[in-house]
Amino acid sequence: MVFSSIPFLYYFLPAVLAVYFLTPDRGKNAVLLLASLVFYGWGEPKLLVLMVFTIALFYGCGLAIGRAEQQRWKKLWLIVSIVISLGLLGLFKYADFFLSTFRDVTGWQVPLLKLALPVGISFYTFQCLSYTIDVYRGKVPAQRNPVTFGAYVALFPQLIAGPIVRYADVVRELESRKHSWENTALGLRRFLVGLGKKVLLADNFALLIRLFRESGEPSVLFYWMYALAFSLNIYFDFSGYSDMAIGLGRVFGFHFPENFNYPYLSQSVTEFWRRWHISLGSWFRDYVYIPLGGNRVSRGRWVCNILVVWMLTGLWHGAAWNFVLWGLLFAALLLVEKWAPGLQKLPSVLRRFGTLLAVMLSFVLFNAESLSQTGSDFACLFGFGGLPLVTAQTRYYLTSCTVLFLVGMLGATPVVKAAAERLGRTKAGNGLELAMLLGLLLVCTAYLVDGSFSPFLYFRF
Amino acid sequence: MKHKAMILLLVWGALTLAAWFSPEKELSVSERRPLAGKPELSAGTVFSGNFMEDFEDYSLDQFPFRDSFRRLKAWFHYSVLGQRDNNGIYVYQGHAVKQEYPLNETSVAHALNRFQTLYETYLTQSNVYMAIVPDKGYYLAEQSGHLAMDYDRLYELVEAGMPWATQVDLRDSLSAGDYYRTDTHWRQEQLLDAAGVLCQALGTAPPKAEDYTRTALDRPFYGVYYGQAALPMEPDILYLLESSLLENCTVYDYETGKTGSVYDRAKLDSQDLYDVFLSGARSLLTIENPDGDPDRELIVFRDSFGSSMIPLLVQGYGKVTLVDIRYIRMELLGEYLDFAGKDVLLLYSTLVLNNSAAIK
Repeated sequence: MVFSSIPFLYYFLPAVLAVYFLTPDRGKNAVLLLASLVFYGWGEPKLLVLMVFTIALFYGCGLAIGRAEQQRWKKLWLIVSIVISLGLLGLFKYADFFLSTFRDVTGWQVPLLKLALPVGISFYTFQCLSYTIDVYRGKVPAQRNPVTFGAYVALFPQLIAGPIVRYADVVRELESRKHSWENTALGLRRFLVGLGKKVLLADNFALLIRLFRESGEPSVLFYWMYALAFSLNIYFDFSGYSDMAIGLGRVFGFHFPENFNYPYLSQSVTEFWRRWHISLGSWFRDYVYIPLGGNRVSRGRWVCNILVVWMLTGLWHGAAWNFVLWGLLFAALLLVEKWAPGLQKLPSVLRRFGTLLAVMLSFVLFNAESLSQTGSDFACLFGFGGLPLVTAQTRYYLTSCTVLFLVGMLGATPVVKAAAERLGRTKAGNGLELAMLLGLLLVCTAYLVDGSFSPFLYFRF
Repeated sequence: MKHKAMILLLVWGALTLAAWFSPEKELSVSERRPLAGKPELSAGTVFSGNFMEDFEDYSLDQFPFRDSFRRLKAWFHYSVLGQRDNNGIYVYQGHAVKQEYPLNETSVAHALNRFQTLYETYLTQSNVYMAIVPDKGYYLAEQSGHLAMDYDRLYELVEAGMPWATQVDLRDSLSAGDYYRTDTHWRQEQLLDAAGVLCQALGTAPPKAEDYTRTALDRPFYGVYYGQAALPMEPDILYLLESSLLENCTVYDYETGKTGSVYDRAKLDSQDLYDVFLSGARSLLTIENPDGDPDRELIVFRDSFGSSMIPLLVQGYGKVTLVDIRYIRMELLGEYLDFAGKDVLLLYSTLVLNNSAAIK
């Protein structure tokens, strides 16, 4: 089930909210767990087995780590949880990638597994790993209550597309949390803003991208429109989902970590990754980069650490070589920034523009379906594809989507939020904000009823 | 804060209750299609995932105030986001127009290939004519700044691909006003000029305005684009051109084995009022005209545009046969029809030529 769908908005969520708030506090986690399993099983009921197994695995390993007195037994249970969960992730997500690469290299026609990718497996696997690692490190005690732990793993607001919520960040709220009208109002506002980002902006950019891919009349300008449209599409899709997750969490009394902080305003690639998918970046920093030695090692080892972390970041996003290249591209850009301090002295406008251009081009690589398409996309972008500069079709879509691009670019800055906050401080502004939120709900519903549906991009991760 | 949350929840809750408890509808009049009903709930449908899939369709189709929400979406799409079309439909000068773009040369080649087979199989002894019916976009796309197929190229391809047929060009005899505002089709009462061009090519007497009485149907006509555009538009009025000659004609339907009339008034209650012309989509019909020349016979291969045009061509013939090869296999035609020495007209719209997969 997806948030931006009529079954979720008008059947599942209202029913869950009603049951949740009618249930006494001690039963609330059970309601969340049950609702989350229904939510997860809605798309593919068979995958519930994997979810329940994952909960049982990490619950058991967490308890075993907590109870073990000797370090080696703690380590053993930690390794068990890591090996099995990464094994499952590898089996479902990466097996065919490695097998097809093996086939390409050796020419041996080993059969592919063709397993369906369980939705959100990368997110919940990483969340669970943070749990056993933190228990092993003694940062948090093991959770004894299987329902509480199950509610953490399967918590539907952030189950399938993040943010990656670490157990340590929500353990207190899992056991006791406050519900208030203020939380509900703020949560609903955040949810509706996220819904608007997804349905009104991301999905309309997705439509333009589809038309671009189907176009029989491409042009150099159309390729640049595509690059910009995809950059805005992925931002509003993913940050919209994070907003909805954070908002829903707030309604249920949780405070999830922020996942985006206007990344397109960054003045460097390093800053971009502090503002984009923050929960993933910090996960890799804390659980991979620092354990590898971080930057407190020799220069050669440090470069190696950077390459490993960014290759894994690329692979986390998808099992294909273009994702690996995408990760390595960022590793290269980060190293250039570290080794060329002169870049910091450039005017901020140039740094912003350069960063934005680098990120936008990286997303062209990210969204390509193959390496050959990557090559042809870049050739066309830079005028080597034998395409005209502009065609009638490009002109049409440029004029048709001008407002969408302007709204998208403005929406990617804090201007709208700042204006809304200023307005919200006045009485009239308060009423206007409510009217805008109701309008958002109705217009998003209208788009969904009209059937302009597209799944979240980050589901495939 | 409390009031804000309460008002939001109240509106959300009201829509939720309406979604849960509104009576189920079977049909969408504006979209002209049946709506999805409640899916079957069983262990089998749940574990196969069918229940969830069907429930998605059900929840969308049965959502309360569905038409109003679709209108809201169209308004927001056009007026706020500044998009120039909604679901591929745009409205210009009161006309809802489908953006038919680009020219699909593969589709045109498929149609021409089928026509070539038709010619080689049946038409070598016939007088063959080809007329393309331009869609509304031909007259409106350029001036409204919308995309349209390369019509000149289409005409070139058809002319080059059918050297055995006399090409009849209808473009100058029509204008945007000759089409329904809410529908894809042309208006029969506006077709006398175009019919005259066809008759001149076929060597028969053109229809005269004074021979016909214009009759308006009581029911408003909401064309196919009305629902797709989802914008507030006035419905069209559908007129029939009636004459004593047409009243005397009888129409035989090979599918049902029944005989009827040119204007099928049983279709006045159907979802598509345009079906009143020769009963809508039929594979094989014959019009017998007792007042026409018994020695002249016309066979028309056609799409739905032919239904309203052909009544204006019958006066020159004793018998007119209508064939829609989207609904009958070409190989079967020899069992029913003899083409030798007869006039054969292929009357196809740009829309069908550009999406010709259905031509068998």
